[in-house]
Amino acid sequence: MQTLAVVIPARNEEPIIAAVLSNIPSEIRSHRVLSIVIDDGSDDDTAGAARRAGAFVLRHIANLGVGAATTTGFRAALQLGADIIVTMDGDGQHDPREIATLAETLIDGPFDVVIGSRLMTHDGMPPVRFAANLVLNALTFLVYGKIVSDSQSGFKAFTRRAVTGMELNCAGYDICSEMVGEIYRRKFRYKSIPVRAVYTPYSHAKGQPFLNGVNLILGLFVRLVRRG
Amino acid sequence: MFVLVAKVFSFVLAVIAISKSYVDFRARLESLQIFLFWVFTWLGIVVVALFPSIVDYILGSFGGGRAGLGTVFGMGLVFLYFLAYRLYIKIGRVEQKLTKTVQELALREGDIAKKGIKNR
Repeated sequence: MQTLAVVIPARNEEPIIAAVLSNIPSEIRSHRVLSIVIDDGSDDDTAGAARRAGAFVLRHIANLGVGAATTTGFRAALQLGADIIVTMDGDGQHDPREIATLAETLIDGPFDVVIGSRLMTHDGMPPVRFAANLVLNALTFLVYGKIVSDSQSGFKAFTRRAVTGMELNCAGYDICSEMVGEIYRRKFRYKSIPVRAVYTPYSHAKGQPFLNGVNLILGLFVRLVRRG
Repeated sequence: MFVLVAKVFSFVLAVIAISKSYVDFRARLESLQIFLFWVFTWLGIVVVALFPSIVDYILGSFGGGRAGLGTVFGMGLVFLYFLAYRLYIKIGRVEQKLTKTVQELALREGDIAKKGIKNR
């Protein structure tokens, strides 16, 4: 039986991580599904909650950022022998039932990467966030030369070949743009499909610190300058 | 008035920097050489801030003409920019090493390495 690994970077998601994990299907098209939670230096018991919910847990003893957590998850997924690797957020923003849609699109292929785009429908997405994502799409294009529907989506499916082929160095949120660059550089076959962004009182309360957006834009700008 | 504020500001900054350096030295977080480097650097800054004419005197004693404070500050800015660049590079390297170390530890101590896939 083949393996599909769901990589979930999480920081301080103790209240919701078990609910996220419980909605992940156990099997998709003859692939057994294994969940890997990377606790990125949480102050709460995210790791314990995830472990009790049946996930493999890896713990960063210091907070490194979502990019580093994702690459740790990729390495763990490869250790598990995963053929398909799906990344998703741990805050409940992505509907775990849509993992099947991403994976099946990848399996039916021929694709190396399937990107879950929140902007193709943008139902319920706050206008400010929608506009910010369009700006980040444009910046990603300027830096990496590739335009995709949702460059900042953390909900993606990869083949094993794609994960082993990407060279990822970004530790923070800029990893999403870096992945777009790698898709372009490695000439991976990809497809964007619409996914629903779930905005709950929890995710609204947690929010996305304004500083993260500033850091992301600065990081992309530095890369743009370095590339000349 | 502005000159006086600048002098007081430089003096206060120097006191804070030297105090912090002393605390680090006492806590053995800083070597004697580094502590003395910061003490003399900040004392130099305070002397120049309090007596700006000393710059022309020093340059004159080396046989140079009047360079003016503007030239000295310009060189200082370039030097500071160079320092900021060096720090930026070094911090980046340290961050990369930290990331690699924490990731390796997570993989080595994580559930997959400890229990393996078969126990699931």
